[in-house]
Amino acid sequence: MTHSGDLRPYTRLRVERRGPVGWLIFDRPAAANAMDATMFDELERAWSELADDPLVRVIVNAGEGRSFQTGVDVVQMARDKDALREHSRRTRDAQLRFTAWHCDVWKPVIAAVNGTCAGGGLHFVADADIVIAASDATFVDPHVSVGQVAAYEGIALARKSPMEAILRMALVGRHERVDAARAYQLGIISQVVDPPENLRDEAQTLAEKIARNSPAAMAASKRALWGALETGLTEAGRRGAGHLTSMWGHPDQEEGPRAFAEKRDARWVPMEGARPDA
Amino acid sequence: MRDYEHLIVERHGPVGWLINNRPDALNAMNANMRDEFADAWIELDRDPEVRVIVHTGEGRAFQTGVDVAEIASDGVGMQRYRQSVEDFDLHFTSWHQQVWKPVITAVNGICCGGGFHWIADADIVIAASDAQFFDPHVSIGQVVSIEAIGLIRKMPAEAVMRMAFVGRHERMDAARAYELGMISQVVDPPKRLREEAQALAEKIAKNSPAAMAATKRALWGALETGLTEACRVGAGHLVSMWGHPDQEEGPRAFAEKRDAEWAPLEGTSGSG
Repeated sequence: MTHSGDLRPYTRLRVERRGPVGWLIFDRPAAANAMDATMFDELERAWSELADDPLVRVIVNAGEGRSFQTGVDVVQMARDKDALREHSRRTRDAQLRFTAWHCDVWKPVIAAVNGTCAGGGLHFVADADIVIAASDATFVDPHVSVGQVAAYEGIALARKSPMEAILRMALVGRHERVDAARAYQLGIISQVVDPPENLRDEAQTLAEKIARNSPAAMAASKRALWGALETGLTEAGRRGAGHLTSMWGHPDQEEGPRAFAEKRDARWVPMEGARPDA
Repeated sequence: MRDYEHLIVERHGPVGWLINNRPDALNAMNANMRDEFADAWIELDRDPEVRVIVHTGEGRAFQTGVDVAEIASDGVGMQRYRQSVEDFDLHFTSWHQQVWKPVITAVNGICCGGGFHWIADADIVIAASDAQFFDPHVSIGQVVSIEAIGLIRKMPAEAVMRMAFVGRHERMDAARAYELGMISQVVDPPKRLREEAQALAEKIAKNSPAAMAATKRALWGALETGLTEACRVGAGHLVSMWGHPDQEEGPRAFAEKRDAEWAPLEGTSGSG
């Protein structure tokens, strides 16, 4: 399903372009960027819009205000359960559509975590390719402290990070937080930005480095690496060989070494929406 | 025993050494070197005097991946290389060759791109303090795949993905690789790398070869399946040693405060 041409304004997000970098910013700071039904709909639309825009090479996901993202809006859950009925169905059927991974976005995605990342906010850490954070960012998973199960986020994070840290976060709930420095030690994030107000500048700088690489090669690499989380090592290698050879004969493989030899930036073949059938 | 052009194969006590020896090309792997790797792993694995294998490089780089230019220029080289990747029929790492002796990779200097194959596929990795890691594949239009697929099972995945997408525009140093658990030892000063690798290998060589081979099968096999199935398979490897003479000799040597005399291990490579 594509939403290209859908020009409705976003009310819970900001979607922007800065050079080759697309920005998807949670913009509901008064509610700590919690996701209500409207935000769930807008997220699916926004990932599609940025994935389909050939001028966007890399996507940065950030939050407005004191929090990055704090998960499902429990106020709406308490007052208007019907509004979240579609989200509940998708949760039950494992058909979520609000992160880049859910939406088959094969462009590189950087999560730039400002402030608090809590509960369902960890979806966006788990499903990003690269995660950086402001030095005052904190990570906490309060699901079990409110009688909810921590599942999707922790499952993906446990494949990508030392598992003890993820289980501790899941079971201690709201009674403890992981700070940015510890998240960096654990390899959950790869960069701590200090002072915190430099977070977006650093994210843009990192994204611009990535934007210099071959879009087609990055899309195939992303499929190979995320696909590797699906199977055993030997089978993952076999499938990875398929992704590897899928680029052979692509013009970027001539242009890359030539540009390097001529000491200039490469002129890569532009990618049509990086979401050809997954 | 064959002669090697681009590798050095040596024995130091119980330790077999496999040294990348194409320093003028930063040890990039051409077609000939690729074939030599296949033979050298098997040679060291089949030698009963060799208990542990150390892999390192000559010069200022450990390994920099496939020498595409040279493979392409030797006529049939490129075609053979293509075919081997398409068929996922690779033979240049110890994992490819099913070497069940412990393998230590000792990273000197630069390790980039396809060089990560020998980090992903080693059991233990140590590095000189001036070692540098980066993956320039996507910066020249190439896909990051098989090496990184192995690495993301063995260390925090975010760091692997960052290297994959930033390409040649950033490098990781040995200190960060150590923090992340990609390597377990940083050797400083760098010139002591081989000495430290030999010392580590000699410690490992004191352990039961048969028990280490079964352990290695259990741990690498665990990367193939879900947890419960991995334990089921692992139980098979565990009990495969029951009744083995090493299980009598080990406690006896310990009690008598002497080194154990282990049953020699026949070469095990090739048998899954």
